[in-house]
Amino acid sequence: MNTLDRNKLWSDIKSKYSIYFVLAALFVISWLSNENFVSVENLSNISTQIAVGTILAFGQTILIISGMLDLSSGSVLALAGVLSVSSYKMTGSLLISFIVAIITAVICNMLNGLMVTRFKTPPFIATLAMMTMARGAALMYTNGQNIYQIGNYVVFGQGKIMGIPTPVIFMAVLLVVTWYLLKHTIFGRSIYAIGGNEEAANASGINVNKTKMKAFIINGILVGIAGVLFMSRVNGGMPNGAVGYEFKALTAAVIGGTSFSGGIGTASGTLAGAFIVGFLDNIMVLVGVNSYLQQIVRGAIIALAVIYDIWAKTKRTKRKHGSVEAK
Amino acid sequence: MKKWIVIALIVSLMASVLTGCSQPAAPAAPAETPEASGDKVYKVAYIARAQADSFAAWLANAVVEEAGKYDNIKLDVFDGQANDDTENGLIENAITNKYDVIIVQPNNGEAQRPYVEKAVAAGIKVITTNARISGIPGSSSVDADPYMQAKVNCDLAVTQVPQNANVVVLQGPPGNFHADARRDSWQKEFFDKRTDVKIVGEEIANWNKDEAMNYMETWVQANDKIDAIIAMNDNMAAGALEVVKDNPKFKDILAYGVDGTAEAVLLIKDGLMTSTSLQSAYDLATSLLDTTNKLVTGAEKEINMDIDCPLITKDNVDQYIEMHKKAGAIK
Repeated sequence: MNTLDRNKLWSDIKSKYSIYFVLAALFVISWLSNENFVSVENLSNISTQIAVGTILAFGQTILIISGMLDLSSGSVLALAGVLSVSSYKMTGSLLISFIVAIITAVICNMLNGLMVTRFKTPPFIATLAMMTMARGAALMYTNGQNIYQIGNYVVFGQGKIMGIPTPVIFMAVLLVVTWYLLKHTIFGRSIYAIGGNEEAANASGINVNKTKMKAFIINGILVGIAGVLFMSRVNGGMPNGAVGYEFKALTAAVIGGTSFSGGIGTASGTLAGAFIVGFLDNIMVLVGVNSYLQQIVRGAIIALAVIYDIWAKTKRTKRKHGSVEAK
Repeated sequence: MKKWIVIALIVSLMASVLTGCSQPAAPAAPAETPEASGDKVYKVAYIARAQADSFAAWLANAVVEEAGKYDNIKLDVFDGQANDDTENGLIENAITNKYDVIIVQPNNGEAQRPYVEKAVAAGIKVITTNARISGIPGSSSVDADPYMQAKVNCDLAVTQVPQNANVVVLQGPPGNFHADARRDSWQKEFFDKRTDVKIVGEEIANWNKDEAMNYMETWVQANDKIDAIIAMNDNMAAGALEVVKDNPKFKDILAYGVDGTAEAVLLIKDGLMTSTSLQSAYDLATSLLDTTNKLVTGAEKEINMDIDCPLITKDNVDQYIEMHKKAGAIK
């Protein structure tokens, strides 16, 4: 291996795995800052806290890779969640309530997909419209009031299986599913191709509209599951819940290396992005950082991540002379 | 075929949302206008801060319900969407549309002040509520005093919280009149009197249950001993309690809130929460409509009043559970 190859390899490792170095560094710094940070319970708390946002972020990752995004996920989560809680109160069936959440979120996302594929609405606008509509529907359905006394519904978000909190199990399973979809299916390859260059993808025989619709449907399933977990965790049906969660999800995806210009991103990167935010939030509270300062730090991290993303991408593009990369 | 399946699913979702099958939907539209009596019917605009805010929604529903009891009042509800611009625009529209009375639940009192003054100058009777905009001659107000709401809890906590206790504090959104006044009250009426008490964690959870849960989970890791949760509203107190409810280490934890929500009274009944003070939307609504009626009939020119903020503890919680049962919030 000559020097040029070695440099290229090192630079590839740097650009591919740097996010995990950042995560590891943050972990060590947090560990040194506060002894409680590494307790099993604290790490399990952090994982539980980020689970809902991360599941939404998996959906965002798929959409962003294909050159789209979803601003409606927080609102659709709330609509799916309150309908699910309400159906549980009516039927007493956990299974039915779970299915109701998924169907609701999938329908909302099919509408998103229709607006984007059939009517060529930019995803930003289509999902912005859905954000308002879904929140309105959740509020209208509940008359703006929370639904309480939800009984056994809490098992979804507060239960444990072999000592592992259920939201963490959901997050882990969905990580594997998202990774598999992106890496090992035709759908995944099509997603990267569309995000890299939509016209080229179309010319090479990929059904762009169908793939985009599929991406929204998968996002819907993820949002529905997140809705069930959220409502169950807060022990109530909250039509005002999860406001701003779409931005949490976008943040995790972007910090994790998903590129807004499409064609680049991984599920594990997104998970790392979510953990970076989770570690930061946790350690800042543990060491008692001022609440206002916390917001500044969070914002700075997002800015740095995007700057890094653009910088790394420019370098790669120069090296690869414009070829589409599907990591 | 696929297209039809999609359409059928969409229609069924819309139908289920619109019929609102399980919720006890309070009348969202204004009550029918009873003009049969032949008396003058007064047009009242109720401009809510945000229908998406659960207390504001409860208040708007209560106002609509109460207005139904008055034959001489026709009430329309408008949503300020937690946005100063929107709310100010709604006040201007109400002036243009010549409402007899405008009730304003401000999003931010100072931002709405000039518009309320404009309405008063146009000869319209204005009532501000939750929170009042004070110092506008000619306008009336009905409110609950946020300082007092926290103080009734503080008075109990001063004797209840053990010596050298560790406490955590959950704040509402910074700059919010009620959030700031309640925190101020806790400072003057509790912390200044109990200098032995240590705050081991204080964060802004923006009235939200899920944010409060996250903070509490972290505090529990950092502190073996937390004796009390001091929250500026019930939602956040409930969130913190959700974290420690099954943890034997915290079984004697005290928890204080404000609002008297359905969830809080149930937690007090179960012995998990210590106390809250009631900010009753029903009382506010009753007083608002009574004030409206007195103003339009000319019985009085200007009214400024506060509703009570009774303390709810295990001893008297049953009557408040009954109140929420009547409203359909508790089954």
